[in-house]
Amino acid sequence: MSAGIVLVTSDDAVMWLLAAGPAGAVATYWALYRYYRNTDKSHAFERDTLIQARPVEGAQEKVDHISRTRDSDIDGDNSSDHRSRVERLR
Amino acid sequence: MTSAVPGDAQRPRDPEAPVFDGPPLSLEEELAAARAEPEPGPDIETVNESLADGLNRCPKCGGTDVRLRASTGMLVCLFCRHQWQESRVEEEFGLGEGIEELEGTVVASGADAVAADVDDVVTLTCGGCGADVVVDTAHSLNARCHWCRHTLNINQQTPNGAVPDAVLPFKLTHAEAVERIREFASKRRLFAHPRFKREFVPENVLGVYLPYLVVDARAEAAYVGRGEIQTRRWTEKQGDSSVTYYAADVYRVDRSVAFTVDDLTIEGAADRAVLDSSTTNNIVNTILPFDTKNAVKWNSSYLVGFTSEKRDLDVGDLQPVLEDQLLSIGRSQVRESLSDFDRGVRWEQERLDLGGSRWVSMYLPVWLYSYYQENTKMLHYIAVNARTGETMGSVPVSQWRLVAAALTVGTVLEGIAGAVLMGMA
Repeated sequence: MSAGIVLVTSDDAVMWLLAAGPAGAVATYWALYRYYRNTDKSHAFERDTLIQARPVEGAQEKVDHISRTRDSDIDGDNSSDHRSRVERLR
Repeated sequence: MTSAVPGDAQRPRDPEAPVFDGPPLSLEEELAAARAEPEPGPDIETVNESLADGLNRCPKCGGTDVRLRASTGMLVCLFCRHQWQESRVEEEFGLGEGIEELEGTVVASGADAVAADVDDVVTLTCGGCGADVVVDTAHSLNARCHWCRHTLNINQQTPNGAVPDAVLPFKLTHAEAVERIREFASKRRLFAHPRFKREFVPENVLGVYLPYLVVDARAEAAYVGRGEIQTRRWTEKQGDSSVTYYAADVYRVDRSVAFTVDDLTIEGAADRAVLDSSTTNNIVNTILPFDTKNAVKWNSSYLVGFTSEKRDLDVGDLQPVLEDQLLSIGRSQVRESLSDFDRGVRWEQERLDLGGSRWVSMYLPVWLYSYYQENTKMLHYIAVNARTGETMGSVPVSQWRLVAAALTVGTVLEGIAGAVLMGMA
């Protein structure tokens, strides 16, 4: 059993090492492409507009507990992705 | 039944045709129509009363050869060198004030709905010699009389969206724009398409006034989602390897924020408003913002020597864009209040109450170098904000060189990986 896991772990390491070449090639392509074409750029209106905000109000209520998970963060974290729209309440 | 369009009144009516003005109204409807308030005028009247369509003379010498002097931001008479400028709309129309008290949708007269059936081509009678001179307002708001050489201007607001409320004059000169475009492109030479490099002539850059709607708004945004706070973290041995596990409390998170925005700038031309990957419009979008506080009252002499693109989107068309941007701004405002949730927050629902908005149309100055790439049928831009100098561009790439560079890097990395594996073996 333990020999099997050691084998799997060392296989994983080999896989990661072998993936370095293709991953590096793809990353190089995209980095250069974006530097030339700037397809990801847009006006940062959230930052560059004159905004006067009142203090943020809100509440939080505990609704559940996760006792054991391998995920290091919440699924679908969009707290920093300000432009991804979610269900609109009218 | 089709409703009457504004342009119908101007067309000559066939005298033989029967008169039809809709089905007869009931007595109640007739009475309600009689009691109704008159149609409201524009919320902010921005017409520059001192100017007319046609000749506009220098206040000192009466010459009509007037244009912008970019280095001073003032209008200059090319005959007597007298300089003057229009007043800033910020103070003239009180645009910087009262955002907290905005109610409903307030629209300045130059941002009124665009009438689709109004002809862009306007014929002016030259006040100097009486000749008829044609101006295509879709691209220009000045013309020179071909007989007596007077400059004729369009200054009255027309329903086709060509004359805005305000204009922000060019500040960067042509030479400065050329320099910035050259600098931008020279940093991107190695992998640029060879044909682009061969045909690159930055001196061909054009000064364009692009149409924008500048919006002040008062809003309240609310968000509902789930947030998680880690309560425990531990590792378990599984044979020779170890696995990390987490425990967390799950919260329902509510946040709301009331805020005002001053001079949010939105594209007013449909061609420019599409920001997907099929175009390079995001380039022109990226050079925002402009110092819109310095925009001045409309005077088409500021446009002499430049081209312009007329607005074809209305306030109604852009309301969803405004709401989308306000929701994004609200999200960025509440971001800092989420620091307790170390495992992150997933927003699931959002709501926007738009208390009030004020819309003003402006021409904003852009130096635009464009290049049409034939094989991909893509129009590339290098754009310079003619106020701040911010430069952004899209340079067509040579796919072969890019792939070769990527393969080289990949091969080197793979070689290192192979060496490491050999070492391990």
